[in-house]
Amino acid sequence: MNKALLIADKLTKFFANSKTERFCLWHDIHIEISEGESMAICGESGSGKSTLLFALGGLEGVDSGTICFCDQMICHRLNPHIPGISYIFQHYYLIEELNVLENLLIPVRVMGEKVDTGIMDRAHCLLSELGLEKFSYQLPKTLSGGERQRIAIGRAFMMNPRLILADEPTGSLDEQTSLRVVQMFFSICQKFKTSFILVTHNENFAMQTNKYCRLEQGELKRCK
Amino acid sequence: MWTLKLALHYLFPKGRMGTFFTWISIAGIALGVMVLTIVLSIMNGFDKTIHNKLIQINGQIKILSSSVVEDCAQWMHTLENFEGVSHVTPFVQGIALVQHGDYVQFPRCLGVDEKTVQTVLPLNSFVRSGDINDLNQGVFVTKGLVQTLNVNVGDTLDIYSPLSLEAIKRDEVLLPKELPIIGIFETGWAEIDKNTLLCSLETLQDLYGLANGVHGFSLNVKTGISIQSLCLKLNAHLPKSLRAYSWMELDADFLHILKLEKAMSFFVLLFVILVACFSISSGLMSSVVRKTREIALLRIWGAQRWQIAALFCWQATFLSSIGILLGFMGGLGVLHYRNGVIRCLTGLIFPKDFLWNFYSFSNLPVAYAWQDFALVGSLTFIIALLAAVIPALKASFSLVARSLRSE
Repeated sequence: MNKALLIADKLTKFFANSKTERFCLWHDIHIEISEGESMAICGESGSGKSTLLFALGGLEGVDSGTICFCDQMICHRLNPHIPGISYIFQHYYLIEELNVLENLLIPVRVMGEKVDTGIMDRAHCLLSELGLEKFSYQLPKTLSGGERQRIAIGRAFMMNPRLILADEPTGSLDEQTSLRVVQMFFSICQKFKTSFILVTHNENFAMQTNKYCRLEQGELKRCK
Repeated sequence: MWTLKLALHYLFPKGRMGTFFTWISIAGIALGVMVLTIVLSIMNGFDKTIHNKLIQINGQIKILSSSVVEDCAQWMHTLENFEGVSHVTPFVQGIALVQHGDYVQFPRCLGVDEKTVQTVLPLNSFVRSGDINDLNQGVFVTKGLVQTLNVNVGDTLDIYSPLSLEAIKRDEVLLPKELPIIGIFETGWAEIDKNTLLCSLETLQDLYGLANGVHGFSLNVKTGISIQSLCLKLNAHLPKSLRAYSWMELDADFLHILKLEKAMSFFVLLFVILVACFSISSGLMSSVVRKTREIALLRIWGAQRWQIAALFCWQATFLSSIGILLGFMGGLGVLHYRNGVIRCLTGLIFPKDFLWNFYSFSNLPVAYAWQDFALVGSLTFIIALLAAVIPALKASFSLVARSLRSE
């Protein structure tokens, strides 16, 4: 069995309704994901799926419980940058002023790494995998929603992550485009042996992952 | 330096010559810098013209006496040989009653030594008619006196000195001195041009009963010698009754007002730049709000808070730098064609020779001071950078999860 990449144990999160009232968003959540493994979390809107995903990536604090990524505890302080974790969001959040290739390279530049031929090769390889090579020097605003989401996927893979946290990546796309984008995402994850946790409303997509869970009434229930 | 590159991309996105915000911010800064450059350079021009005029009228240093200086020749010799002094000329000054027909005036009279005066005061350049070398044959009057006494060259003036009053006390009658008007002069300095009479040293000595005595000396300093330090040296050597004043000290109040006027203009016009910087600040703030999710992503990719702040400070740096450069270029351009612009504008509203009649000059004076350029440039840069601080702080301290959730 592959070594555990991320272990979240007994995670509990409260939210404040007002100054005096607090309610439990979810409690005693246990998630374990190994290298190359995939997981999907489904649930109704407002059930706390995105919050849970953000908590797993260190973007959101938890009230109790532990999160361990690559043998390192990450839940004790908010840390937006955890090397090895990448994100894909429902909205693409591309930098509109940069062309497609530059959008892929920006995480590399921000991390202070030199954009050498190795990095450029990786960027071109990802663009090719995503069918975006011919758009390399175009601005994102000239592309369709599906193409933009594919850029966001490519960007998430640029830093060679071990885990991708995808928050409803097809939420803004139509059914057919969603299917194409998700298939591309799954195949690239498989190719690079990247683990991912997918938050989605689409049960068909969820069923294609190794672990499929539903977040209901603050509890994470395993469906697959 | 990804912050620098990304800041440039935010201002000048690929495939575009810049955003509306970019150019409106640059235009605001450029306008402020241009106006400041123009006004300060013209104020400098006025300053320089006025300083030159003051030196032409008074000499670089004036030695004034609390009593009559009797041994004029000896003092002339002493001052001429004083280290740093290039030329010296004596003078007598006072008030006299001047009459022409029914017209009476009390002009300021200045008696100068026609042999030496030209070495210190460029009287020839003030003469509108007549020859300054003929000063011992009559008097020169200013344009103002020509009008108030209703006289012209060739007319004769009756001049009564204060000695006439002394004579009246003794029940004597002292007849006025009759002197012909041999020329008209104009300095361009209203205070003098209104009411001044110029005559030879001997004429005024005679009118005032001074024999060979004088009231003081005007002198110029050698090139490279500091006027102020020479004044100090002279005062250390001169007796208490004599005191040397630099041209700056003689009109200190007026020069102070000029300085104050320039400082006030600078202060008032600085608000144009402040307003421009407010627009930069609000533009950057809206950019922070618009790009809040991109900023969150940058933080996820490992950008430090200071790098996020730098991203917005760089934008202010670019905007202000380009604005300052364009402002200077625009300002220098307008100043280069200033006379054409002024003539066009005054020609539309005022008579053709409005400037000459009103300000005694037909061309707008300009003097460029690199200190002013440096001050305007650096101050604008600093204000623009300060304008970016609040948006930069807001961007750098925004919470990543909250930013990603924001609609």
